[in-house]
Amino acid sequence: MTDNSLDVRTVQFSALASRVKRLDASFLLWLVLIALLAFLILNPILRLIISSLQETDTGRFTLANYRTAYGNVRHLQSLLNSLELGVGVALLATCFGVPIAWAISRTDMPGKAFIRLMVFAAFVTPPYLGAIGWILLAGPNSGWLNKIWMALTGAGHGIFNIYSMTGLILVIAVTSFPYTFVFTSSALDLVSSEMEDAANILGARTLRTTLRITLPLVTPAIIGGVIISFLEAIALFGAPALIALPARFNVVSTQLWQFFEYPVRVEEAAAYAMPLLAITVLMFWLQRRILGRRGYTSVTGKGGERRMIALGPWRWVMLAYALLVCALSVFLPMLVLVQAAFAKAWGRGFSFDNLTLHNFYYLLVEQTQAKQTILNTFVYSAVTAFAAISLSLAIAYVVNRKLVPWSNVLAFLCVAPFVVPGIVLAIGFYAAYAPPPLALYGTATILILGFTTRFLPIAYTSSAAGLRSINPEMEEAVRILGGSRLLAIRKVLIPLLKKSLAGAWILVFIPATRELSSAIFLVGPNTRVISVMLFDLSEEGNFEVRGDLGVSLLISTVAIAGIGSKIIGRDFMLRSKS
Amino acid sequence: MFPIRRRSFIIGSSACLVLGSGSKVLAQPAPSMRPHEKELYEAARKEGGELTWYTAQSDDITAQALGRSFESIYPGIKVNALRTTAQVAYQRITQEIKASAIQCDLLSTTDIGHSVALKANGALEKYVPDNASKVLDVYKNYDPDGHYFVTSAGMIGIGYNTAKVKEADAPKNWADLLDPKWNNNIALGHPGFSGYVGTWALTLRNQYGWEFFEKLAKNNPRVGRSINDTVTMLNAGESAIAGSGPVGTLLESVQKGNPLAMVYPTDGTVLIIAPSSIMKGCKHPNTARLFMEFLLSEGASKIWVDHFNETIRPEVSASKGAKSAKDLKIIRPTVEQITKGIPEVIKQWRETFGV
Repeated sequence: MTDNSLDVRTVQFSALASRVKRLDASFLLWLVLIALLAFLILNPILRLIISSLQETDTGRFTLANYRTAYGNVRHLQSLLNSLELGVGVALLATCFGVPIAWAISRTDMPGKAFIRLMVFAAFVTPPYLGAIGWILLAGPNSGWLNKIWMALTGAGHGIFNIYSMTGLILVIAVTSFPYTFVFTSSALDLVSSEMEDAANILGARTLRTTLRITLPLVTPAIIGGVIISFLEAIALFGAPALIALPARFNVVSTQLWQFFEYPVRVEEAAAYAMPLLAITVLMFWLQRRILGRRGYTSVTGKGGERRMIALGPWRWVMLAYALLVCALSVFLPMLVLVQAAFAKAWGRGFSFDNLTLHNFYYLLVEQTQAKQTILNTFVYSAVTAFAAISLSLAIAYVVNRKLVPWSNVLAFLCVAPFVVPGIVLAIGFYAAYAPPPLALYGTATILILGFTTRFLPIAYTSSAAGLRSINPEMEEAVRILGGSRLLAIRKVLIPLLKKSLAGAWILVFIPATRELSSAIFLVGPNTRVISVMLFDLSEEGNFEVRGDLGVSLLISTVAIAGIGSKIIGRDFMLRSKS
Repeated sequence: MFPIRRRSFIIGSSACLVLGSGSKVLAQPAPSMRPHEKELYEAARKEGGELTWYTAQSDDITAQALGRSFESIYPGIKVNALRTTAQVAYQRITQEIKASAIQCDLLSTTDIGHSVALKANGALEKYVPDNASKVLDVYKNYDPDGHYFVTSAGMIGIGYNTAKVKEADAPKNWADLLDPKWNNNIALGHPGFSGYVGTWALTLRNQYGWEFFEKLAKNNPRVGRSINDTVTMLNAGESAIAGSGPVGTLLESVQKGNPLAMVYPTDGTVLIIAPSSIMKGCKHPNTARLFMEFLLSEGASKIWVDHFNETIRPEVSASKGAKSAKDLKIIRPTVEQITKGIPEVIKQWRETFGV
């Protein structure tokens, strides 16, 4: 229908057809999208809001759930802890991500391809897997880093304690800084050197130019990254369960878990989750305030040249910094995990007689679900990524070009799921779609729908960031020449956005492979995914097998992404710049 | 339906024969099968040859071993063993009941209170296995109405890392855990997750009052989730002492070569009695019945013993290196105490330990 809309137009005679014609066919498509959003986001969240105001059994209106949810000092403390965690992670992730993105995108720092690969590896690493690595590295009594410190200084005890808020912030930041990195670097890739040149001509040095010109130009991307890492941090369940519980503090997600213990109190949980929704509203209002009406359009279709900045000796400093971040996020945790994966008894440490492949044998032969689980994970994640990107691109377009009234409501809806902790989102989904008439419990569909909703904010943020930088005049040219909106999207927008979209696909695919918090309530026995299996294994003390499954997850994800990059060619998130 | 299943079964098993691996599997079951067993097996095959088993009664390795053993005795039936902590399994079950989409066929929990509650809600199917009368007396007749049966038992003592603690210095009884020398060095599970830890905490509360835990909290223990987390902490060397040390998982870890050892406290080792039940409205009721028989069989007890848990059959004796409950001083709460007490203990735990 879309393909021959041009031809169709020329042969339409009836009055009805001409009325439809005036209604720009794409408008109908947008209606469908809005219905989809209502299904994916509005209905589950509304159900949560309503149930937060209901009595458990009778369904009558009450505020008692709010009283119980907030009438406890520990519950309030968890809320504060989550805020601290979110802010900490957002700041640290920005400190990690932005300089590396700048160095890779704009400077002559050596070893770019390698650093890019490592950032990618950090992104692939699920936080709960990283957390395990870090427990082994920085456990106050046994952590390798602490042991090394004690051996070097002769001190009686180590200096790192992973079982602390700082530890938790670090663990989550090292796995979520790739969000900031990808957002920033894809925006930087689009900025031409002209404005930097202007600053240089007027006498500004590299540092000043970077801080006053280059980075401010990509503020939307950086703020997008900050928001995503903040929201990601407060919604995570796995890493806090591994680190916060032994450190004896709760965050919102672990607190929420308690509402789902027997007797399950969904209504109280819903009430407890409400402030998080308020925070999202606030954050996006803030974003709007900060970005205001300033223009960030830097891709105009009018060319523009990009040159790498020569850093001189400072390029080695940048490399060292990048390597440090990679060490924290990849080298060190992976080293200990790989040791566990190939160890007979990982408590014994490194030695040749302690090496074995038996753990892999167990995983792939004796543990009959592992293979199915691995397959499930990748299929669901790929489908999720396609679904989320298609939907979010369409919505970002509607919002950006203001095709319908109240388009900002759509934008808000798209990003709202991120702040609903995965657990709560899953419960909303579960309440809405598990029972008949849809009866989706235990099916792959409910997981894919849940994942799509959960990662719509990422897909949306990156689609919107991409769209914002593209000047509408190119599409307007198509439309002036008689092309439909869909034609303009297909022939102009999509090709221009190809890189961003491929990046966005990866940005959804990877977190979907490692998603735990929503999966844990939506999986059935036959639809288990790796994250859930890893989480179940994490209760086991069985680090050898866990290490294996983790390593398998990482290797397969990297392989899939690698094949993806071959297929897409150079148009890829972590591509090498020619 | 049936002819196709049989045909595919024959094709499948002949393929196994050709490969040379299937002959033993195929020949074994038929002659030894009792009529009732055979009936269930036939019925189970008609149901689709699959079983979904939620279990909290062991670690994943043991659960998989039981599943594979069942599959080899009853070819053509696949066991999906999903190992989680008891509270997590219970959560999933209650979710499924709410959604009226029962996925789980057989639930093996470690918190007998769950079985009591589920039975009261009419969520359990009544089935009295033939084997129910053949287990050791102490495991008989927990539910005279026949909705749940004890299918495994395990013990909790005190574990320690031999690289960090000498045998002579290790705690001898529960009160020794309060010694300030173990400050920052004790690992515990969490009753909000683990049925074992819930029962353990309840037992010690019965013995020493809740003050015991208030004093224990002063030693700043590491609180994990599963009881098995304590073994992880020992292996990592992060903690020297597993305050709630699961005998089975710990000894299995020793067998792998990890530097751990077990203490059976002089004031009593905690015995956990863990029941299984068939879910009402499940998809594979006959397979579940057959699996229930299997869990109560001699063969299953052998596997339990191989993985250092208790046997529930008199014919099977404890494995080497492990002590049996009958040779030890045992402490444990009654079913009524568990049903009422574990929710209380979870609440108290949260107040005392902050998580």
